[in-house]
Amino acid sequence: MNQKIRVLVAKPGLDGHDRGALVVAQALRDEGMEVVYTGLRQTPAQIVNAAIQEDVDCIGLSCLSGAHNELFPEVVRLLREHGADDILVVGGGVIPQEDIPFLKSQGISEIFTPGTPTAVTADFIRNNVKRKRMSLVQPPKKIAHIGIAVSRIESALPFYTEQLGLPLLGTEVVESEQVRIAFLGIGESRLELLEPLGPDSPIARFLEKRGEGIHHIALDVDDIEERLTRLKENGVPLIHETPKTGAHGAQITFLHPKAAGGVLFELCQYPAAKGEHQSE
Amino acid sequence: MAKEDFTQLYQQWQQQLAERLAKAPERKSRFATSSDIEVAPLYLPKEIDDAYMEKVGLPGEYPYTRGVQPNMYRGRLWTMRQYAGFGSAEETNRRFRYLLEQGQTGLSVAFDLPTQIGYDSDDPMAAGEVGKVGVAIDSLEDMEILLEGIPLDRVSTSMTINAPAAVLLAMYIAVGEKQGVPSEKLSGTIQNDILKEYIARGTYIFPPKPSMRLITDIFAYCAEHVPKWNTISISGYHIREAGSTAVQEVAFTLADGIAYVEAALQAGLDIDRFAPQLSFFFNGHNNFFEEIAKFRAARRMWARLMRERYGAKNPKSWQFRVHTQTGGSTLTAQQPDNNIVRVTIQALAAVLGGTQSLHTNSRDEALALPTEESARIALRTQQIIAYESGVTDTVDPLAGSYYVEYLTDQIEYKALAYLEKIEKMGGAVAAVEAGYMQREIHKQAYETQRRIESGEELVVGMNCFKLENEPQPELLRVDPTLGRKQKERLDALRARRDRERVEQTLNRLKQGAEGSENLMPLILDCVRSYATIGEICGVLRQVFGEYRPV
Repeated sequence: MNQKIRVLVAKPGLDGHDRGALVVAQALRDEGMEVVYTGLRQTPAQIVNAAIQEDVDCIGLSCLSGAHNELFPEVVRLLREHGADDILVVGGGVIPQEDIPFLKSQGISEIFTPGTPTAVTADFIRNNVKRKRMSLVQPPKKIAHIGIAVSRIESALPFYTEQLGLPLLGTEVVESEQVRIAFLGIGESRLELLEPLGPDSPIARFLEKRGEGIHHIALDVDDIEERLTRLKENGVPLIHETPKTGAHGAQITFLHPKAAGGVLFELCQYPAAKGEHQSE
Repeated sequence: MAKEDFTQLYQQWQQQLAERLAKAPERKSRFATSSDIEVAPLYLPKEIDDAYMEKVGLPGEYPYTRGVQPNMYRGRLWTMRQYAGFGSAEETNRRFRYLLEQGQTGLSVAFDLPTQIGYDSDDPMAAGEVGKVGVAIDSLEDMEILLEGIPLDRVSTSMTINAPAAVLLAMYIAVGEKQGVPSEKLSGTIQNDILKEYIARGTYIFPPKPSMRLITDIFAYCAEHVPKWNTISISGYHIREAGSTAVQEVAFTLADGIAYVEAALQAGLDIDRFAPQLSFFFNGHNNFFEEIAKFRAARRMWARLMRERYGAKNPKSWQFRVHTQTGGSTLTAQQPDNNIVRVTIQALAAVLGGTQSLHTNSRDEALALPTEESARIALRTQQIIAYESGVTDTVDPLAGSYYVEYLTDQIEYKALAYLEKIEKMGGAVAAVEAGYMQREIHKQAYETQRRIESGEELVVGMNCFKLENEPQPELLRVDPTLGRKQKERLDALRARRDRERVEQTLNRLKQGAEGSENLMPLILDCVRSYATIGEICGVLRQVFGEYRPV
């Protein structure tokens, strides 16, 4: 599941200086990426073919001969022509600052000039390839429910059922979380009232610290495992690294509140939905 | 060492010096410091022992540790030779004339990549590269323009050309013919070092075997017809640029040198016939004393190899004559003016190491090709060392330094270990084919990068003493329309020249390449008929095939 980022390091044109290309290739390997090096004297067409064949996420172009303004944009143009412009393109070499805006306008995402630490290049690739990869996963479909921490369901419930008139859909005990839940229907979503079953329940700790109130927001998603993997790779803090089974047999997981400015988000994938929206 | 033995050697040195002075006086009638302390040409240890004579000796004498001339820069300074070339032949000709007016003493031609790889400017492979890193030369016509108004009997010209070296040398000879200068009077250098192209520089065309044949053909032809020409410049420069250490630079360069000598011997050439025309090319890097020691060690090693292993009799065959360029990869894109200081240190090391000619890099080369102003400062740097520092007033002033002599010994010792290893692999050609040197260099390059990033190795302005918001320097731009203009000129030439004669000479070259005759005269005929470099190399590509790296 944890797919490595694949990078094609390429030398377009006739330039024979490959110290930089080789060092960057090696450094990216050490950063956990899979790197293919084309060797010298590649035409833009050869590079694009190799990138598609090798199914890479990123192309790193290196040129020290001054031909970058001709060769780099040609690579991007050919990628577009082949419908492969989701591949991130970065470049490096002896490239004057004043050429960089032009190259960026042509679709080269970043230019790394001499003296750039390899870690900077690796981080850039990781962050930007991830963004492209993440966009391949569907956004969450809706708010599945809003979890509200209460000391006793029986005391809280009348407000929801009598004053707001929401239907009580049922109650359930989730032993693993030491919690009893009351489900209230609201449109296509639900409100869930959460009551701790004992002092070790996370809800008990929440109540102790913050009192009654909104505890979390749950999002209905597909591909929960894939999504978790990418979030993890992107450095989003998680509470659970793998999904577990929650109410209604859903696969659930919690992101750490640090990830969203103090808001606790839950991801849930309901059994029927699994595999429905496969995007890859 | 017996006193009389030394006396005899010393007399030999005096004799040599006297002969030299009879031909040309020293630069000054008397050398002295600011305090009027008179400076002698040579300083020696108080006690001369066998170890000294064996390892260090006298300048201009075997094993040449102290230099290849008896009085070194007191007689004549090194040749100040700035590598230049960009855009069209006209533009480069203007830069050459400018540099000569500024006091430069030799030319050094940079060719663009299509020329270096044997493609015409209109070849699809040349897209984007025409005129970028050097001048575009497609035919004799471009070469005539490039050298217009430059007296080839008086200016020596170094050409950085390797795989198609025979073609460019032939063009140079043909321009000489048109100027009325016979080839015997031409002096200069072609790089012609294909092995380091496979190792580090990347402008190879043909596989090693036919490439070595072209090289030995040039050796044989020049021994007879262009005797003042350096037929090869065996280059450690690019090996160092690619990331090697100083020891590896010495070892791999000498290993390549041995391979060329072996190839020439196998082709039936006599060692003393071609060896005096071999020259070398080193890098001038930052570690000051190690760099000085590197030159001294290489001279001693080469002299021993040539005399002891190959039995060369002519002292000129023993001499390791070297061109130096300061280290391009040491230049930073950050605070580029600091590079002037780096270049100064590196150039000074090369001079104290006894180089025969020198290129000093311009401060802006990590950013682009040098502007005219940057190129001038680089030349001035050499001139300041030459005329103001006083380091040129006595021979090998660092000899006898415990540290420098120790480093010289260590570099020799460690380089010999590499040579032995390469020998066991079957020599430099086999080692290159196995990718051995390439891997060693890459390992070292990665290690250096790691050290810089971890801060173990400091690079001022880059990983320490950084500047926020650096000002942007003025950079040289190569005319972007040049590629088109060059193609137009080539079209016009193709329409104008005698097509039948071109085809005839190219066919003749093909025949020759399929056989075993010396190809130089045939290439010269092709050039005279205005066949293009792409056409000539195209024929050779057909016969020889192309190199594919491991």
